[in-house]
Amino acid sequence: MRRAVFLFLAFWAPACAEENLTSGLSQDTVQITSNYNGTDIVVFGAIEEPTERDVGDIVVVVRGPDTPMTVRRKDRIAGIWINNARARLILPSYYFVSATRPLALVAPRDTLSRYELGLANLHADPEASDGDPAPYVAALVRAQARTGLYRENFSGVEMLSKSLFRVHVPVPAAVTPGSYNVEVYLFRDGTVISAQSWPLYVDQTGFERRLFDFAHVWPLFYGVSTVLMAILLGWASTFFFRRRT
Amino acid sequence: MEIYLPIAQMSVHWLVILGMGFAVGFLSGVFGIGGGFLLTPLLIFYGIPPGVAVATTTSQVSGVTFSGVLTHWKRRTVDFKMGGVMMVAGLFGTAVGVWLFSVLRRMGQAEFAVSSSYVVLLGAVGGIMLNESVRTWQAQRHGQTGGGRRSGQHNWIHGLPLKMRFRQSRLYISAIPPIALGFAVGVLSAIMGVGGAFLMVPVMIYLLKMPTNVVVGTSMFQVLFVTSMATILHAVDNYTVDIVLTLILILGGVFGVQYGVRAGARLRGEQLRFLLALLVLVVAARLLYEMVIRPADLYSLTVATP
Repeated sequence: MRRAVFLFLAFWAPACAEENLTSGLSQDTVQITSNYNGTDIVVFGAIEEPTERDVGDIVVVVRGPDTPMTVRRKDRIAGIWINNARARLILPSYYFVSATRPLALVAPRDTLSRYELGLANLHADPEASDGDPAPYVAALVRAQARTGLYRENFSGVEMLSKSLFRVHVPVPAAVTPGSYNVEVYLFRDGTVISAQSWPLYVDQTGFERRLFDFAHVWPLFYGVSTVLMAILLGWASTFFFRRRT
Repeated sequence: MEIYLPIAQMSVHWLVILGMGFAVGFLSGVFGIGGGFLLTPLLIFYGIPPGVAVATTTSQVSGVTFSGVLTHWKRRTVDFKMGGVMMVAGLFGTAVGVWLFSVLRRMGQAEFAVSSSYVVLLGAVGGIMLNESVRTWQAQRHGQTGGGRRSGQHNWIHGLPLKMRFRQSRLYISAIPPIALGFAVGVLSAIMGVGGAFLMVPVMIYLLKMPTNVVVGTSMFQVLFVTSMATILHAVDNYTVDIVLTLILILGGVFGVQYGVRAGARLRGEQLRFLLALLVLVVAARLLYEMVIRPADLYSLTVATP
């Protein structure tokens, strides 16, 4: 639903909007190498023909691929804390939102919810084993915020002039590879005037990636070679110590 | 310096991991144990996911055990027939254990299963060892010779059918107890990431009444096959074996063992058992404490891997 609304806006709305939006990314791929420790990408753009009275608000959203996740809650049973209830939900693996002002001032609640803008407005599609999914969604957002994967920054959009803007998007070390989506919205008087969307690819490369692929594509060979490596190392060490003593 | 573990999907300080491998190797050299029961909890305390900790420890144990099996083979202190019977049963046990583990993982109870089986088994084995070593100590102080092993005496084991002759162990007993023992150790190996010697050696000595000189070699023979099998099955069923973690742990472990053996030679038998019992009980108590105190966050997140 959100995608349909978005596509509609992206292709139709700009054509008939009086003001327009131009934007771009500093890079369209992020490579995760063995010493990858997080990076920043820059989303920049310009509002064309800003009116004198109101420039409008820029909202920038970056989403990772939708991922099924499970949140479990521990309960005390016979004195022991044990996983007792769970909720399954589908949410982006990464979510970043930034705007020129707090989102509550940019647009009314139902508009924000329709575009899934803000951590409180994500559609999780939750299915909880004990009824109320709200605490599970909150726990997930909390856990993801701790690792820097979910982030709200309401002063992150820098206006360099009346029409030029720039946002730094942090891509932390824990990101999962996949196809990401960068969306730039221009709001005025609580409605979307214009929007643009860009793909961003996050790729794992190098030795670690090859090991990960090996372990998942040929698990039997991977298991056998791990054992052989372990045994060979153990055996080789006996020769090493025999020569020394 | 940080190193990225491809399967655990986290960065670790490789010196910390190397140190853990060394410390556990040292203790296994001192006490003559595999050390899996120390390594798995250590890795979990450090933040490695329990599934990866269990599966990777099995590969570490098989690597460290191999040279021990070679040594015992050369000294002819392996009962291959006994070891073979136990190994075949152990392979079935491992398969059941790995399957059970993946079911528990899907239910979200893997962590609880690992912790609770550690608390129960380590608590029991540690308690028995502590009791036994203290009694030996007291008996020596009072100048008694202690109970001693009365070999040749019959117990309920001799009433069981399916008798087999184990030449190396000079035993003619039913094959059922070794099969049951091998199977149980296989299940434990898969779920707890241990070799299982701490359970196997006492049963072989006190219940099967095997001669002490073949007990260690035979149990090592069984441990080598069962942990190798557990590693392969965990890799296939759960994708939880981390080869980079294995490599660092073994490098630390083989050095630790060498220094540990030299240090262990200076301690007396009952002192060793007393210290080992204390160590086992401390690990059990720590795990029990984790299960009883209120966790910092009641909710935990699992992201499904693609």
